Amino acid sequence: MGEFEVHRVRFFGLVPAGVRCLACTPRGGRLALARTDGTVEIYNFAANYFQEKVIPGHEVRSVESLCWAAGERLFGAGLSGDITEYDLLGLRAERPVDGCGGPIWSMAANSSGTQLAIGCEDGSVKLFQVVPGGIQFERNLDRRKGRILCLSWHPSDTHIAAGSIDALRVLDVSSGQTVQRIMVNYHVQKVKRECVVWGIAFLSRGTVVTADSFGRVQFWDWQRGTLSESHTISTSAALSLAVSEEENSIIVGTSTGATYQLQLLPVKMGSQETRWVRTKPFQHHTHDVRAVAHSPTALISGGLDAQLVIRPLMEKVQRKGYDAALRKFTFPHRRLVSCARKARLLLFQFSQHLELWRLGSTNETGKDGEVLPLCRMPEHLVQLKSKGPEHIYCSCVSPCGSWVAYSTASRFHLYRVQHEGDSVSVRKVPKVPKVLPPAYQLQFSSDSDSLFVASAQGSVHVLQLLEPGGCKHLHTLRPPSGSPEAVYLLAPSADGQWLAAVGGDWAIHIYNLKGFKHHCAVPTYSCAVTALAIHPLTNNLVIAYSDQQLFEFSIPKKQYTAWSRMVQNCGLHKVWLERDSPITHITFNPKSPSHILLHDIYMFCILDKSLPLPDNSALLMNQSTLKQLPETARQRQLHAFKICKKFQPLLFADLLDNNCLVMVERPIMDIKTQLPLPIQQKKFGT
Amino acid sequence: MARRRQRVAAALGTPVSSSEDEDEAAPEEVAFGVAKEAAETERKLAGEAARRHRELLKEKRRRRQELFTEQKKRKLLPEAVLQELAAAPPARADGQAAAAKPGKGCGAGAVKQKQGSAQRLVKKDKGRKGSRAKGNYAAVRLKDQNVTALHQQLAKDFLNTQLYGPDTNRVQANDFFSLENKKNPVKKAAVQFVDKSWGEEKKERATRFKKRWLSTQMKTCL
Repeated sequence: MGEFEVHRVRFFGLVPAGVRCLACTPRGGRLALARTDGTVEIYNFAANYFQEKVIPGHEVRSVESLCWAAGERLFGAGLSGDITEYDLLGLRAERPVDGCGGPIWSMAANSSGTQLAIGCEDGSVKLFQVVPGGIQFERNLDRRKGRILCLSWHPSDTHIAAGSIDALRVLDVSSGQTVQRIMVNYHVQKVKRECVVWGIAFLSRGTVVTADSFGRVQFWDWQRGTLSESHTISTSAALSLAVSEEENSIIVGTSTGATYQLQLLPVKMGSQETRWVRTKPFQHHTHDVRAVAHSPTALISGGLDAQLVIRPLMEKVQRKGYDAALRKFTFPHRRLVSCARKARLLLFQFSQHLELWRLGSTNETGKDGEVLPLCRMPEHLVQLKSKGPEHIYCSCVSPCGSWVAYSTASRFHLYRVQHEGDSVSVRKVPKVPKVLPPAYQLQFSSDSDSLFVASAQGSVHVLQLLEPGGCKHLHTLRPPSGSPEAVYLLAPSADGQWLAAVGGDWAIHIYNLKGFKHHCAVPTYSCAVTALAIHPLTNNLVIAYSDQQLFEFSIPKKQYTAWSRMVQNCGLHKVWLERDSPITHITFNPKSPSHILLHDIYMFCILDKSLPLPDNSALLMNQSTLKQLPETARQRQLHAFKICKKFQPLLFADLLDNNCLVMVERPIMDIKTQLPLPIQQKKFGT
Repeated sequence: MARRRQRVAAALGTPVSSSEDEDEAAPEEVAFGVAKEAAETERKLAGEAARRHRELLKEKRRRRQELFTEQKKRKLLPEAVLQELAAAPPARADGQAAAAKPGKGCGAGAVKQKQGSAQRLVKKDKGRKGSRAKGNYAAVRLKDQNVTALHQQLAKDFLNTQLYGPDTNRVQANDFFSLENKKNPVKKAAVQFVDKSWGEEKKERATRFKKRWLSTQMKTCL
């Protein structure tokens, strides 16, 4: 395998934004997630919980509530007072509709998905019709004093329950009147705080469930206006509430990061009388859990510590095994770092700026595991701030390090970077071709001569870079049968002849750049592509899917290679298939043609195609045992997967020249110390 | 008693007899006038001492009173200005010189009160009226303000007070994450044991000096 000098980079100061809202599609196939900076992400449960779509945020746009309506249309509303529909094909937020009620705190769709109700700052509940082009204002329901923080429709769509400060109201939809108003205060003399109802749900049997800021979950009989049950589940506030479809299980998220499940259980075995009981406490988060969702088989919670936790319920999962494992997602499932190999530069993508760093260097060598002293420290060369309030979609640096490109929702920017000795100067390229923004992925060719821009409708634009600092649009590549979805991954070949592009429909198209023609399409697979790369010598396309499968497709021959067929016949190792995070980057070593280097968040792997594949009985992560064995025994136990778990959590890993690896890590504790304050935990003895 | 007699004797100029035959001997003869004078001088001395003491106290009290009045005057605006304000506000003429230093004028005003001429005072109060409004509020045009931004800010403030306000039990990240380190069987240091922001300025100055030093070294070497 050889020895590598590893540049261990920890100066990427990424702090992901906290999770603010969650919304499951009614049939539980997809999850929409909104963060505090306005980013909206879609997770596909069937594709191994892969983050298939990301719509970057906006400085002004805040999302307080998300909901699915009319099938697969996603709507969001926030404190700016607008209702925005998200275009999931074009990955952008469409023109917002003003709610005319001040900041919108909550939004809910009725069971058929045809109407949206919003709860506003001025205390009014407004109804909107979901029409094919967008939404249309229908009417105002009764308005009372007190901001409406949460809303819930009755499953029959006849009533709406609205929670505000110190009170909850039930409104009749057809007449618009308030039919019941219940006070929710906390009756203790000492406490002078107001009781804020953070979460509300309307059950079909006429019970209204509320979660309030005193940590109580209360069940109200709305017609009589009485309290049926009250559970104090926490000393801090209960911030979010979600009910399952069968209405026998509720998940509640609190301010301390704990989530609780309440279940409707019979009082005695076989008796008809049921009662709500707090069954399972979970402590998956360290910060406030402001969003929870209940899918048919799992409890989902998102906290301000930027983690999304999916906890499958044992009794609901059909296939025991890895399906029942807890999934925790902190980092995005795409690359935020690009590397200029020859110039040894790294480009970090933040939400509103880019940072260009030069790696340090060392003159010494050492043995396995030694830390070498640096003779030149890593330097922060350039910080490029994106102009305007929009967040950055994608960015890239050319392999020679002299071009930097990035795209926001409305503009595309290209910069020329000149290296004069040790210092660096950046100049903007003035006239950039009018490609339809946004660009979903940018990739420079390996000779830094052209730039590939992934665009909507499955098309890829090829731009030619002219020397002193200019750019010309050469061609637009389109798939033969057209595609409504946008391209999200690109892979150019090293000789500049081929380009592979993957769209949102998971179809991989390969284009011949010499004639700008479509060459072939890889056979469709049932899962999303997470990474792809073309081998520099053999022009084989290596594809990693989100269910951890690996394929190798020969581009000149238009078929899967023999090695790929062997892998599919033998199957991959069980431990390999049970990994949590997808592979985000594949690269190759020009000096060893049979090596493939891949990484995901928790491991870095060198795949040697010339060695045999391990079967399920062998140990997959056997590097440490191999080191201790003598040479002869080692030969017997060698297999193709050489996995290193020393560098975690890994955001990016690449091979520079001359046996140098660069690993960009982001320790979780560095993120957690920069988040908003958590609630104090009193522990005995400290 | 003995000392008193010695004093009187010293005043009269007669030698003091030894104490042995004091009790048996008869009292000394002292002339009435001499004794009267001695008593008078003594009384005078005592009276003068008391008077001096009283005057000293008086002086002290007077000085303190003056100090207080001066401090009080320094706090308030000068008299003339107060009178002007109490009366109806007259037409505004410009007071450039005093307007330039209104704050200084307040402090100097008390000192210059006694010497102050009418001209100076007039200049000062014209200037002071113009600057009276500073500091307490800001006047903005509602047309320039974005109403939605205002609503949004109010909503965000409400959210902030509810989640991070005074009643919530929030704690610093260092304290929260170091609990585990404290409770482990093998105790470790706190998560942010060393704060990277300590001595930031010093470190920056040191790096800049190092760069300069190295460049001079390179120059001399070359």
